[in-house]
Amino acid sequence: MKKNYLFIQSQDLFYEARTSTQYKLAIALAEAQGNVSILLVQNAVLATRKGVNPAVYADLHRHNIDVYADELSLNQREISADNINEFVKPAPLNIVIDAMLNGDKVVWW
Amino acid sequence: MENKKLTFAFMDPPFENERTITFFRLVDAALDAGADIQVFAYEGAAALAFALQKAHGNSVHHRDTEQEAHPLTKDWVAALQKKAERLGRQLDWVNCGLCVDERGVNESIPGCKRGSPADLWRYADSSFNTLVIGTR
Amino acid sequence: MKILQIVEQAFRTLVEEQDDTILWLTQSMAGAGANVEVLLSGNAVYYAVMKNRQPVIKIGDWVQQEPADIPSDIDRMLAQNIPVYVLNSELEERGLNASMLRPSIKSINQVQLVDIYHQVDQVWQW
Repeated sequence: MKKNYLFIQSQDLFYEARTSTQYKLAIALAEAQGNVSILLVQNAVLATRKGVNPAVYADLHRHNIDVYADELSLNQREISADNINEFVKPAPLNIVIDAMLNGDKVVWW
Repeated sequence: MENKKLTFAFMDPPFENERTITFFRLVDAALDAGADIQVFAYEGAAALAFALQKAHGNSVHHRDTEQEAHPLTKDWVAALQKKAERLGRQLDWVNCGLCVDERGVNESIPGCKRGSPADLWRYADSSFNTLVIGTR
Repeated sequence: MKILQIVEQAFRTLVEEQDDTILWLTQSMAGAGANVEVLLSGNAVYYAVMKNRQPVIKIGDWVQQEPADIPSDIDRMLAQNIPVYVLNSELEERGLNASMLRPSIKSINQVQLVDIYHQVDQVWQW
């Protein structure tokens, strides 16, 4: 049976070297029958702006990992929905609550 | 919808980190989703409900205390308590007692209790799910 | 219900709290009946190889009486039958290795970590 994971990524890949290890773990979980999603919050959304183009979002997409960005965090930073990475979708924060109420493993990074 | 209980453990103090507002937004969203809530406030988070927090004016903003209407986390806790009551939901809040003592923030707003890590385990064990938001 | 406790923020509170607050919380929760496993992750892998109590700190005339004792905290957790893991890759990238681990701490690889994630009911990353 597939296990559901939602990782809430609050760490910013510009500053935090840990993020690359975290994304490797997410991919390893997806490869091992995990159904993995990631929600970027706070400064983690800064790397979603078009033009930054980190390879990581395409890589996560290739592994069937959905990546979302918190709508308020985007709005606060004036990053509009039509100006973010093609592999990232804006989403309300309540997807965290939906995941918790679904019994998913929800982990804060 | 079947009512489900969710637990949140949070560690950050007020006025220091963006995690604080994200945590409050999550609890607010959980109430909207019809969940009962249990919060374990650890370390600096034990000051979130500190009753002696005081709003201030801001001369740089050219606003007095009333005009500035400065946010206080104790008011956010109270607002969530009020919302829970209005929705017929439960919001239980435990501050880590040792964390409160060492910081001198014993005086919490009504409805916030003193406890220990055993309460976190009790909360988690009685909840449908738990989210820990660690500090960084 | 089984919980994987991930301890990541090493050395953060050792002087002020005279322990690591998450190791302390873990022991306290286990004493209350919690079923937990511990992953020392990131810089916290250092906790798995430490041998000594922390050095005494002096601030002005104030002298610390009871500095943190991480090896004893780890040993107490192991005595509570709490499994303690470290990722071998996280040891090695910090110039450490599995031969340096305190007895009974398990060195695991990424595949084993994924299995642990799947097996536990909740993952608490501190």
